[in-house]
Amino acid sequence: MTTGSSHRHAPLLLIAPAAILLFVFLVLPYLSIVVMSFRTPGQGSPYGEGYTLANYARFFGDSFYLGQIANTLMIGFICTLACLLLGFPVAWQLARGTSRLRGLAYGVVLSPLLVGIVIRSYGWTILLGNNGVINRSLMGLGLIDRPLGLMYNTLGIVIALTHVFLPFMILPIMSAIQGIDPSLESAARSLGASRATIIRRIILPLSMPGIQAGCILTFVLSLSAYVTPSLIGGSKVKTMAVSVVDALVDTFQWPFGSALALGLAVTGGVIVVLFSRFTRMTWKAN
Amino acid sequence: MTEVSIEQLTKDYGTHRAVAGISVRIRDGEFISLLGPSGCGKTTTLKMIAGFEDVSSGAIRFDGRDVVNVPAERRDIGMVFQNYALFPHMTVAGNLAFGLEMRKVPKVQMQERIARVLDMVQLTSHADRYPRQLSGGQQQRVALARALVIEPKILLLDEPLANLDAKLREEMRVFIRDIQRRVGITTVYVTHDQAEAMTMSDRVVVMFGGRIAQCGSPSDIYEKPSSIEVAQFVGQVNLMTMVVEERLADDRVRLSGPLGEAVVPNPHALRKGERVTVALRPEAIDISVTGPGQSATVLSSHYSGSLMDYRLQLADGSRIDVQTFPRQRFAEGDSVHVHAPADRYWLLEDAE
Repeated sequence: MTTGSSHRHAPLLLIAPAAILLFVFLVLPYLSIVVMSFRTPGQGSPYGEGYTLANYARFFGDSFYLGQIANTLMIGFICTLACLLLGFPVAWQLARGTSRLRGLAYGVVLSPLLVGIVIRSYGWTILLGNNGVINRSLMGLGLIDRPLGLMYNTLGIVIALTHVFLPFMILPIMSAIQGIDPSLESAARSLGASRATIIRRIILPLSMPGIQAGCILTFVLSLSAYVTPSLIGGSKVKTMAVSVVDALVDTFQWPFGSALALGLAVTGGVIVVLFSRFTRMTWKAN
Repeated sequence: MTEVSIEQLTKDYGTHRAVAGISVRIRDGEFISLLGPSGCGKTTTLKMIAGFEDVSSGAIRFDGRDVVNVPAERRDIGMVFQNYALFPHMTVAGNLAFGLEMRKVPKVQMQERIARVLDMVQLTSHADRYPRQLSGGQQQRVALARALVIEPKILLLDEPLANLDAKLREEMRVFIRDIQRRVGITTVYVTHDQAEAMTMSDRVVVMFGGRIAQCGSPSDIYEKPSSIEVAQFVGQVNLMTMVVEERLADDRVRLSGPLGEAVVPNPHALRKGERVTVALRPEAIDISVTGPGQSATVLSSHYSGSLMDYRLQLADGSRIDVQTFPRQRFAEGDSVHVHAPADRYWLLEDAE
C-alpha cells in the first residue's frame, strides 16, 4: 500500500523541486507585478494606497510609449528575420556539411554566447561608434566622407542583437535538419528536383518546427534584451525593456513600470501565439 | 525503353577501390540483380547509375549516351530506397505528384497517371493518407509507385525488401516482378539475399570485393557457379577432391571420388591421375537405407519444415552435407547409403 502510493506519486515528487522553484521565483513575482501595475503612484514610497487603471491609461494614451513599443516590436521582427536569413544556410551547412572544419564552425556559431553580455556590447560600441573601427576603416579607404550613423540608433541595436541571438536561431534549425532523413533529398533528386526545389519543398517544410522554435526564441529574446539596447541605443533610442528599467530603477515608478512591463509581455505573448498558430497551419497544409 | 551499358566502371574512395572496373550490358526491359555481401560494391554501383555518386572512371550509357556527367535529377531514373524515403509531409498522392510536378505535367494528365499507378499497386483508396498512416508493405508500394509514375528510363531498387518481414517479403518479390514485367522497364535491383535475386531476376550479377565474380541466369549461377565463393554465396555446397580416371570422347572426363563417379566437362585438358576439386550441391545427393551408393553414418540432422539437413560421415572419414525432403527421416548414428548422379558435379575453375 505504501509502496504502491509512493510509486504513483514518484513523478510528482520528481517535478516538485522545479515546480516549487518556478512558483516562488516566477509565478509569484509575476503575480506581484500584475498587482503592482494597478496600484497608485506613491509619494516618497514605491506605491501609494488603493488601486487604479491610471497606469494603463497613461501607457496607452501616450504616443511616446506606443511608439516605443512599436519600435521594440520592429527591432524584434527585423532581428528575427535577419537571424533566420543568416542562420538557415549556416544551420544547413552544419547539419549536412562533411567538411573537417565543421567542428570549428560550430564553435564560431556558439562563440557569441561565450562572451559576457556587457563585454560583448562594449565591443560593439568600439566597432560601431562614429570614431569606431568600421567607420574609420571605411573613411580610411575613402569609401565614405563622414561616419555612417551606426550607434545610438535602431540599426546599431539590430546589428548587435542579431549577432548575439544568431545561435538561438541556428541551433534549433540545425537539429531539425539533422532529423531529416538524407535519403529524402536523394529521392527528390531522383524525381527531378533541383537543389533549390529540394530546399523549398522538402527541407524547409520539414525543418519548420526548428524554424518556429528559433524564431520564437530570437523574437522573445530581442524584445526583452536590455544591456545591448541600453549601451548601443544610449539615450536616443530606447526599447521598451530600457524604459521599464528606467521607470522602475531611475524614476522609482513601480506601478507604471509594471504596467509597461506587462504591456510588453502581453504584446509579445500574443504575437508568439499567433505566429505559432500560423506556422503550424502552413506546414500542416503543405 | 532503355538499354544500359556499364563499361569499366570504377569508384575509388581515397586509396580504397570500392568498384574495380566492372562491365555489364543490361538489355532493354531486363531485370538484373546485383548480388553480393555488404561492402562488395553493389550499392555503390547502383548509386553511380543513379547519379548520387561520382564515377572515378569508366562509362555508364543509357541507350548509348554516356550519362556520367548528367546530374541525378536529369537522368530520368526511378529509384526505390531501402527505407522508402517517402516525403512525410505529403500524402500518398502528393508523393506521387512530386516527380510529375518537376516534369511540369498538366494537372489533368497528372491525376490520370497517379490514379493509374495507384491502381497498379492497389492503393487507390489510400491516396489521401500520409506515409505514417501506412504499413511497411504499403509504404513500399507507394515508393514503387512514386518511382514508376514518372515513367523513367530505368528503375533502380536498393534492397527494397530488407525492412519487411519474411512473409511479406515473399509476396512483394512476386508483386514487384509482376509490375516490372507489365511495365517492361529496364530494372537494376540490389540485394544481399540470394533467394530474392534468384526468384526475381532475368540475370544475376554476383559481386565480391568490387569485382564481378559471375554474371548469368539464376540457374547458371546456382548450377554452374564459377568459383567456390559464388557457389557458397548462393547456397550450400560440398567440396571434394576427385581423381581423373579417363578422358571421354566428347571432351569430358570421368572422375572418381569418395562418393562414386562423376562426369564433368574438361576445359583444362586434364590428364589421367590428376587431382581436382569438384563441387556438389547438398540436394543433388540421394540418401537411402539400402543403397545404391557409398555407406555413411548420420552425424546430425536438422528439420526445417519443408526440408531436412543432414551431415554425414563417409567411410574415408570425410564429411558431406545432404539436403532432402523429410518424407524419409534418419536419426543421428543411423547407417545409410548416399549416391549422387554423375552429371550433378561441377569442376571449380579456380580450384587448387
